[in-house]
Amino acid sequence: MQEGNPIINGTIFKQTLRANVKLWLIFTIVLTLLQIVMVAVFDDSTLADVSHLVEGTALAGLLGQTTLLSMLASTYYSIHGVIFPIIYIIMTANSLIASQVDRGSMAYLLSTPTKRSTIIVTQAFYLIVALVVMFCIETTAGFITIQVIHSDMDIVVADFIMLNVGLFLLMFAISSISFFFSSYCNLSKNSLAFGAGIPIAFFLFQLLSSVDDSLNVFSYFTINALFDTTAILEGENYWWKLIVLLGLGIVLYIASLEVFKRKDLPL
Amino acid sequence: MTMIELHDVTKDYGDSRGIFNINLSIESGEALGFVGTNGAGKTTTIRHLMGFLKPNTGTVKINTLDAWQDAAEIKRWVGYVPGEIAFPDVSTGWDFIQQQANLLQLTDLSYANELIDRLQLDPSANIKRMSKGMKQKTAIVVALMANSPILILDEPTTGLDPLMRAEFIQIIKEEKAKGKTIFMSSHMFEEIEEICDKVAMIKEGKIVTVTLVSTITSTENQHFIIEFSNEQECTRFIQEKLDSMAISNSTVSVNIENNALNDFLAILSTYQIDNITEQKHTLQEHFYHLYAGGQSYN
Repeated sequence: MQEGNPIINGTIFKQTLRANVKLWLIFTIVLTLLQIVMVAVFDDSTLADVSHLVEGTALAGLLGQTTLLSMLASTYYSIHGVIFPIIYIIMTANSLIASQVDRGSMAYLLSTPTKRSTIIVTQAFYLIVALVVMFCIETTAGFITIQVIHSDMDIVVADFIMLNVGLFLLMFAISSISFFFSSYCNLSKNSLAFGAGIPIAFFLFQLLSSVDDSLNVFSYFTINALFDTTAILEGENYWWKLIVLLGLGIVLYIASLEVFKRKDLPL
Repeated sequence: MTMIELHDVTKDYGDSRGIFNINLSIESGEALGFVGTNGAGKTTTIRHLMGFLKPNTGTVKINTLDAWQDAAEIKRWVGYVPGEIAFPDVSTGWDFIQQQANLLQLTDLSYANELIDRLQLDPSANIKRMSKGMKQKTAIVVALMANSPILILDEPTTGLDPLMRAEFIQIIKEEKAKGKTIFMSSHMFEEIEEICDKVAMIKEGKIVTVTLVSTITSTENQHFIIEFSNEQECTRFIQEKLDSMAISNSTVSVNIENNALNDFLAILSTYQIDNITEQKHTLQEHFYHLYAGGQSYN
């Protein structure tokens, strides 16, 4: 029937796309609008005022320098641009595997000559493609906004692109965590406990570590620290950190495949 | 040729839950009914046939292939109605049928349409708003539409009204006449009696018996319950050389071979009787007998 067994199944992919595209669209729009707004509202003088206001408080650490990219790095690239995709990943990853096993609808896929590996690869492919397209749209929108509104400024485009590549790789790694637990757990509640709990804990640790130097120890307990915006903007060596994120993602996606192939399914 | 074979299959979930040393074999064209109380291990056994669960020990073979190792391959010959119906996230019944047909690489939906007509299913309905019976019909259509030579049905008539249940039994009988191999679990003994050649009973994860349905429902002898007017009559009757047993002070159960019926009636005419009823030999009776360790009179 399936000659050569295509590793990605078109029927499953289409069904997944239909079932998930609305959620993806909402998050992509929100993320893109946030990016546009954050870029657009930047103004050297406003920022100076804000810096002045928070001087001497804990927030001063968040707003150190006053270039567009450094402002974005300490706001969008550490808060909004991180937490929104995380929420999207948590919801989507759970619905791709664990929720279908939990509800029992996975039985229908597996009552056809479809391999378990085909299901995992197809669903993982969807999640990764959804993130790639989401960040391509967001990056393009941000780039255009910069060109239109801040054409007078001297902005290093390569740094802007690398911020987005780094953010994408962080999300790739986080999606692999959520996807792994979605593949590993038979119950949605367990899949969510780990698949949502761990990424949110990482996010909070990163947030805490950036508030004050005394809390810097938290940065050792979060993979979000591997997306090092300071290093990217100041031209330090950040490549190995991004490669670790990429490697972690690849390993966990492969692990997802292996656990799902071997486990008992209560369908 | 053996189409479905479980050899010494054990899946131990601890606390004596699970299934233990299950041996079953179903020949091509044969129909096996699988009965047992809730939690006896019916669905666990079926999950092994489908390759969803890996046995701790033992092997499950479908058409000579290993049900776990070659789970995807096997589905080319298997139609399956799951015990719990939970559809994927699609909008209408048609979307679902079409999607399953795509996954089965089935292009000819004429049999699906025939089944839809016979079961009076409206597949254009929103799948989330379907009643239990409608969902069950949809699941049945999807399981049968590819004309698979092996049918694995986990309580397939749950939620169907009596008319639809009769229609379903008719459909399955026709499938059997086509030479299909059928593995069906059910709570409804009438269904199994009508469809199956053999019946396997599972209790606490172990197969209690595998019997031919024809021997259980055989009519070589008949079974009566006789209620006498008084205890003396009853005591006197017990003395007769008959295969009888007192149930209460004035009630007796008696087994009579068909060729001895006339003699039996002659004897009976000398007694004062309030009531006499024939007990049909049913699967249900047999089942209660094995399960509770005693006969049931109802």
